[in-house]
Amino acid sequence: MIKYQKDTDNIVTLTLDMGGRTNNVINHEIFEAFVPVINHLQKEKRKGELRGVILTSAKKTFLAGGDLDYLFKASDAKEIFNFSQSIKQFLRDLEHPGVPVVAAINGSALGAGFEMALACHRRIVLDHPKTKLGLPEVNLGIIPGGGGIVRLMWLLGLEKAYPILSDGYQYTPKEALVAGLIDDLAKDHKEMMLKAKEWLMNTKEGRRPWDRPERQIPGGTAKDPQVAKIVRRLAAQLSSRTHNNFPAPQAILDVLTEASKVDFDTACRIESRYYTELLRSKECKNMIKAFWFDTNAIKKGKNRPKGFGKFRPRRIGIIGAGLMGSGIALACLENNMKVVLKDVSKHIAERGRKMVDKQLEEKISKGHLHPVEKEKMLKNITTTEASSDFETCDLVIEAVFENRMVKQKVTKEAEAYLDEYSLFATNTISIPITKLAEASIRPENYVGLHFFHPASDVPLVEIVRGKNTTDETIARAMDFVKAIRKIPIVVKDDWGFYAARVQNTFILEGITLLQEGYPPALIENLGKQAGMPKGPLELADTLGLSLVLKYENQAAEHYGSKYIQHPAVGILTKMIQELGRTGRFKKMGFYDYHEDNTRSLWPELIEHFPVRKGPFDHQEIIDRLLIAQVLESAWCLQEGVIHSIEGANLGSIYGWGFPAFKGGVIQYMQEYASYKNFVKKCQALSKKYGQRFKVPSTVKKLIV
Amino acid sequence: MRNAYIYESLRTPRGKGKPSGALYELKPIDLLAALFIALQKQCNLDTSLVEDALIGCVSPIDDQGYNIAKSALLHANWSDSVSGLQLNRFCASGLESVNLAAMKIRSGWEELVVAGGIESMSRVPIGSDGGSMINDPEIINKINYLPQGVAADLIASIEGFDRQVLDEYALRSQNLALQAQTKGYFNNSIVPILDRNGLIILDKDEYLRPNTTLEKLAALPPVFSKLGQYGFDEMALQKYPYIEKVYHLHTAGNSSGIVDGAALMLIGSEETGKKIGVKARAKIVAAANVSTDPTIMLSGPTPASKKALQQAGMQKSDIDLWECNEAFAAVVLKFQREMDIPLDKLNVNGGAIALGHPLGATGTMLLGTLLDELERRNLTTGLVTLCVGAGMGVATIIERV
Repeated sequence: MIKYQKDTDNIVTLTLDMGGRTNNVINHEIFEAFVPVINHLQKEKRKGELRGVILTSAKKTFLAGGDLDYLFKASDAKEIFNFSQSIKQFLRDLEHPGVPVVAAINGSALGAGFEMALACHRRIVLDHPKTKLGLPEVNLGIIPGGGGIVRLMWLLGLEKAYPILSDGYQYTPKEALVAGLIDDLAKDHKEMMLKAKEWLMNTKEGRRPWDRPERQIPGGTAKDPQVAKIVRRLAAQLSSRTHNNFPAPQAILDVLTEASKVDFDTACRIESRYYTELLRSKECKNMIKAFWFDTNAIKKGKNRPKGFGKFRPRRIGIIGAGLMGSGIALACLENNMKVVLKDVSKHIAERGRKMVDKQLEEKISKGHLHPVEKEKMLKNITTTEASSDFETCDLVIEAVFENRMVKQKVTKEAEAYLDEYSLFATNTISIPITKLAEASIRPENYVGLHFFHPASDVPLVEIVRGKNTTDETIARAMDFVKAIRKIPIVVKDDWGFYAARVQNTFILEGITLLQEGYPPALIENLGKQAGMPKGPLELADTLGLSLVLKYENQAAEHYGSKYIQHPAVGILTKMIQELGRTGRFKKMGFYDYHEDNTRSLWPELIEHFPVRKGPFDHQEIIDRLLIAQVLESAWCLQEGVIHSIEGANLGSIYGWGFPAFKGGVIQYMQEYASYKNFVKKCQALSKKYGQRFKVPSTVKKLIV
Repeated sequence: MRNAYIYESLRTPRGKGKPSGALYELKPIDLLAALFIALQKQCNLDTSLVEDALIGCVSPIDDQGYNIAKSALLHANWSDSVSGLQLNRFCASGLESVNLAAMKIRSGWEELVVAGGIESMSRVPIGSDGGSMINDPEIINKINYLPQGVAADLIASIEGFDRQVLDEYALRSQNLALQAQTKGYFNNSIVPILDRNGLIILDKDEYLRPNTTLEKLAALPPVFSKLGQYGFDEMALQKYPYIEKVYHLHTAGNSSGIVDGAALMLIGSEETGKKIGVKARAKIVAAANVSTDPTIMLSGPTPASKKALQQAGMQKSDIDLWECNEAFAAVVLKFQREMDIPLDKLNVNGGAIALGHPLGATGTMLLGTLLDELERRNLTTGLVTLCVGAGMGVATIIERV
């Protein structure tokens, strides 16, 4: 498992190659394999026959992270704590054989894998753009458990370590060098090994900074007034960003602060205690479920129609160079595709390229992109006003404004230049795909690709199947979405598809609360504290009240005589028809929108919807706002609007910002531990607030 | 006048006050909050009935700063309505907090108060908060302010205690403390300290050295001779010119240990006890505070105890058990000699020499230990006293009810 080679300069190269696996991972097996190796190294050192150690891997990756199947199931505090402490002991042994150790990182090293690299004195990385480095644990609701937080703080200081740990960003080698995560790059394997050896030949110090009494944490400890001030500011920033709903980034800041004040080994033990607490938290289990198990199920092609070859789109046409079009363009460019961006004139199309340029600049300023990469991407956009430039495109996506006539017109123009194998996609939100497809020359190749704003960042695309869309087209659309590294969820061509339909129930519930006499500010703040990105009233304004009402009217049409009117409809009608307050576009909705781009709740709101006397049950408000969405999602599953639990969960998180710490709309129900508990909760709500809290029968199958 | 009663008394185990000590990994606020949580549970207490929490803390800066009393109350999820006060009477802070609580109750202005103390000496070492008596040359030399250890050596020199007498006392402390620990005498009050996952971090005092012998104690070097040589010995002689020299006799073995720990007591009026449904364990019958010469510094216990006896209208023979903080062996031996009390009634379960002296918490701990022991032996009255920096002294007398 570990190949041991010693050269004539007394430099030992340890090559990791775990049997029966495509990746090296951190587990008990590797700890045990290292015990004799480390003993031997220490012996060599005592004999004076060891100058340095190079640690590298025989696999494509350097070292993958922890075993998530194990972490998801782990629940015993003692066991988790001991596990975390044993990783630490292993890395501690590794980092002090008494001679310097270089990690020659030949491929990706993430999570526990990168922690191992941090336990080496120097990190040299083979520069490949696909290689990913970093500590992304926070995205799964965990924190590094092998001393990674403590080591990173010692290397970079508290202030620089915090964003790396709390953003969970995965760095390319070039980015990692800029961020200070690694020490050097190598252009090929030979150079990497050469540089590693050269450094070892010139370095004698075998102790890490934290083992040298004269060394201090860069920038100081959290006791230092300057750092203390920063910590206080970071705490406030974190709280405002997460509403204290995410324990992992909080734990990162807590551990950094505590760890800076104590010795290295105590700091590590503190890290283990937080690690144990997080791993047992429901937030962590929810996030591992969503972002590991659900995501993998979808990535592996669950729900992709079988029997069709893999579609490899290389050149993408985009119609409409606005925010959406340029966002989609960026997503394609970042995944090595070529883009033809068309608008009514070349001049307007150029604006789209500028928007892409601006977004890339932002990434450079955050240290997430190298300027060379940007230039390469910008060269891959062609701007045009002529549909004929789409001739060699594998897929054309129209992202023009929501007007059926316009959409149909640009479709026809573009399709004239496409071959029979190419796809045509529409990015619509409110017009049925089947209707739009009527104008298509090849309705079987016509599909809805619903991107979410900002399209380059939101990792979700709803694939909408029209009446004539073939299975092959769906399979190919899914391949495209995966090629731009997004999650495809296939949805039915019903009103609002999946995301907008369910999101609407959150808005409607918020508006209902207004009618019931809850203070508008309370509704908005609790919406955000529940974990939603915006309050329901602000969201209504953003979409426009007419669209919110339109979705509900479409629901009424769909259910016919079975439809029970939502109590929010009255308010919406009053706002639109009597008060003429239709939303942000008109600068007046539930909010007033001011010249200086600020907004404030419309003062007269409380005259039209008088506030009753409190106290108000905050938890019940939060429950209502979330359960309204949970139940609507269950209806969507029951009615075949969406086909999988995984898709429903991820769609909710990425599509409209349902709280990730709940693991998505369906996972949310698991918190009630049993079908009975959840139904009891909903029955109570239904009795008090109306039929919409009735539980669809499929829920019985959804709670495990 | 109405009486003040002790309803409950809890403490943490004492951890070694250095990075290898078990409690070092904990923030001081965690230590104190653990006791607040335990106290609430133990008494099934509606915390909104508590009006104030007085917490002794000698180095109230850094992690112990910004009013650790109120900080820990909030961390422990006690009612927002409970006030918190951090106070510093140096080594007697934890006893002073009890005395002030008793005064609040006896005045009739408050009904239910928590008193206690905290010191995480591993996290916030003694002297971290600076101050003129240790850092300002004008004040140091004006009042002849010595390091405590040199003052203890001065006492030994004046009283004529030799090294063996001090070491014998230290061995007695170790033996009695070990016996008490082994037989579980401390268990009644100790709250095991758990981590955030419920795993045990420490559940008994860890400073004890069970294998202590006189030979081993005799082999230890005096700790304060170097400080004496710097000039503090000469400063002592300026105030006490009738002795020839200061003999440096105190070692790590016959001085109190540096440890981490916290303690709390619930103190209230008779009516409040009925209201919360908890039985009173003892009545606080005297609370005295004195101050004496700052140079010799550690002579407060005798005058403080006499003052307390006078307050209570008691004779020393009325006291069943005595606790005098083992800051240094010479302090206790001097106290015993001056008060002329039998050694078998004094510090019967050992003291800070064996168990450690978590500055701000010790006073409350000693009173709690005394109360447990009175109950165990079915005795009635006890007196606790401590020597205090700058010559002060504090004493408290309790009577079981």
